[in-house]
Amino acid sequence: MECYITIDIGTSAVRIFAFDSNGKTMAFSKGAYPTFHSEPIYSEQDPEQVFITVLFVLKNFLTEKINPKKNKVVAICFSGAMHSVLPVDRHGIPLGNAITWADNRGNKEADQLKKMPLAKKIYEATGTPIHPMSPLIKIAWIKRHDKERYARTDKFIAIKNYVIQQLTGACVIDYSLASATGLFNIHLLQWDTDALNFAGITKERLPEAVPVFFADMQLRKEYQVSLGLPAKTKIIIGASDGCMATLGAGVWGEGKATITIEQSGAVRVAGKNIIRDSQQRFFNYLLTDGYYVSGGPTNNGGVIFEWFAKQFGIFNEAYGIEESIDRLISEAARVPAGSDGLLFLPYLLGERAPLWNANARGAYFGLNIKHGQPHFIRATLEGILYEIYSIGKILETHRPFSTLSVNGSFAAYPLWAQVIADIFGKPVSVSSSSDSIGTGALLLTQTALGQFANLEEAAKTVSLRETYQPNKNDHQVYKRYYQIFESLSHKLNDEFASIARLQNS
Amino acid sequence: MLHCRPGEQGSLWAGLYILLRHSARGQYDKSTMSHLILQQHVSPELGAFPHLAGFACRKIQQVHLNSFPVAVSGCLQVWYVQEGKFEWLINQRQEMLYPGDAAIVLPGQSIGSEKGWLDVGTCWALDVVPEIFEAGNFVPGPWSGLPPAESRAIGRLFSMNPNPVLARFTEAAHLFDELQRELVSREIGYTVRVNHRIDDLLIGIARQLSRQHQLQRDFPQTFLKLERALRTNLDQQWLVEEMAVLVGMGTTAFTEKVKAHTGFTPLHYLINIRIAEAIRLLKNTSRSVTDIALSTGFYSSQHFATTFKKLTGYTPRQFRTNHTGLSE
Repeated sequence: MECYITIDIGTSAVRIFAFDSNGKTMAFSKGAYPTFHSEPIYSEQDPEQVFITVLFVLKNFLTEKINPKKNKVVAICFSGAMHSVLPVDRHGIPLGNAITWADNRGNKEADQLKKMPLAKKIYEATGTPIHPMSPLIKIAWIKRHDKERYARTDKFIAIKNYVIQQLTGACVIDYSLASATGLFNIHLLQWDTDALNFAGITKERLPEAVPVFFADMQLRKEYQVSLGLPAKTKIIIGASDGCMATLGAGVWGEGKATITIEQSGAVRVAGKNIIRDSQQRFFNYLLTDGYYVSGGPTNNGGVIFEWFAKQFGIFNEAYGIEESIDRLISEAARVPAGSDGLLFLPYLLGERAPLWNANARGAYFGLNIKHGQPHFIRATLEGILYEIYSIGKILETHRPFSTLSVNGSFAAYPLWAQVIADIFGKPVSVSSSSDSIGTGALLLTQTALGQFANLEEAAKTVSLRETYQPNKNDHQVYKRYYQIFESLSHKLNDEFASIARLQNS
Repeated sequence: MLHCRPGEQGSLWAGLYILLRHSARGQYDKSTMSHLILQQHVSPELGAFPHLAGFACRKIQQVHLNSFPVAVSGCLQVWYVQEGKFEWLINQRQEMLYPGDAAIVLPGQSIGSEKGWLDVGTCWALDVVPEIFEAGNFVPGPWSGLPPAESRAIGRLFSMNPNPVLARFTEAAHLFDELQRELVSREIGYTVRVNHRIDDLLIGIARQLSRQHQLQRDFPQTFLKLERALRTNLDQQWLVEEMAVLVGMGTTAFTEKVKAHTGFTPLHYLINIRIAEAIRLLKNTSRSVTDIALSTGFYSSQHFATTFKKLTGYTPRQFRTNHTGLSE
């Protein structure tokens, strides 16, 4: 049987799917690699370990699950985490570790740029909010603080590019991933001069940008042999993980939005126009020429609930973190919506959208003598989702939507999906695929192969399961509490700054 | 072999010895939990245990100046606080010990009180002289029933543990109590029992230390620590059992957890790290393939080449020319 393979090089693991020609999942494998924090605000990955993990998982995947059943791999399509930077020398050899999206070493450079009039111009041209996450800021940091590495760098690439370069020899970046660098003009589809100037590089220091359907690549001969794949296997460069997740969730055109909650979270819409936000709160990334995925990311997604589970969950020999989370969620379900007036601000990791305040911190608010442990559990969950809502609410002023699809490991919990429906007051569907990113990459592959006229047609084929209808009463309850949540988030600005200063000193 | 001799400069027993002379309690009674200080070469009770430099149950009712200066230990010391509150400097770290807390001091590390004396209270101390205690290797001696692989794992765990204090390690009270009873009464079979209790104590500490990693709560965090340990000792051979001990798990549960977390068995995961590091060295240095193979933990350059080729389709030499741009 003919099959399509998708490879997602994510923040913590590579995930590989095989789909048959009807879009049905045939097999799945994953392999994890670590993130190193040599300084608290640093986040780095070993590019060789990422590459070897991808290769190892892919090889086992093919030899164990695909090749023995006489399946024929037609195409392989890639997706990857956004915002990573890997400096390589002129032989393509990595100069140290890759810097991932979560790295905040460029705090000062970002603050400096934000104060300049140039910031607005760069944001409008590139679609990427000015933030230490973006390669624009990271490269500026390397140029200033790691002069030796800067001098030896021939190109600044992303981790996904590195893996593809190792496998095929091609050093290219897709428009989608490029549009998340803060260096790429999303209107002209070329590297942006203002941004390049601020970063302190010329466009020769970046890989060539190509469309997401680009497939003018071949596996190196040795990999063809060791993986058992013919030379004609189509290698498609693909897009960023965020864009793929949006496509795979079937979110296309007016009236729809998608919520992803993994460790971090995001609310996204897709369409032919960008969102022009005067306060620069939303990103506009390219899915492909003329199609934009817009939205806002939060730092404080599932990672916050995991933090809670680690601190206060029940553990014993038999239970790991996953079981503990399951148990906490079922306990939370027994507390009424609104947690009897206990509110939680989830800003343990500072916040990106919509506050864009690295100093923001967490708080429980409204405690009274009747609150017990289950209230804390539910309040924590609700706080994370109020924060998601705060992004959605502002996003809606730019692009109204009436339905939501949710994906990601946390959003897939029925209680989470229901609370999202209730807070937003809109029906919520959960993507039928366990992995929207893989589905997105499959749709992109099928479009590249001419099976769909365009991505819009492809997105229409996504089937959604389980719809959660909003409960009117609970919606009213959340609405009242949300007002307090929102005003607290803004009112505490001075205190956030003061406490962060003390904590950082 | 390391020795702690009574009265020797730098030995913890120096301080205790002075104190003993100050104390009116030169004698001990035969009930447990009474003041008792035994020293190798002095106390006949330790005659059958050349690997014990000392054993003490210290009841301090009055502070004696210079009874406990900070000094480097030549032995593996285990302390346990029964009563009182002690503020010690262990391996240059200020530590506060409360009843139920234990402290472990490795050969070469220091312990003592900055004030120079022991505060009022009751504490136990055991001084073990290991046959070998060095990076990556711990051999307690022929008296111990621990298999070599396990004592090696325990040694690794002790060496990598940054925190010398074990909070609420109350099972030690029972073990010390028994040790004292056996040493004093010298009933039939006491040598076996004493040595077993010392093994028990080492095992108990090892288990408690690995539990302190809070692995159930945060396996990814725990795994990151293991990953760091593997990377810094990449040239060494690792058994799954040794890795499991480092994170305080049984081998089966450990293998399952690693599989769920990384998608690989522990040994396959280790191969990932070995190959990744080998690739880095192939690309960035001109070191020989054999040299790289050994420093990344492969038995030989053949073993390295076979593993490498199986995974990548390249021999290490081909990979080097193909991926460093030299051929392009």
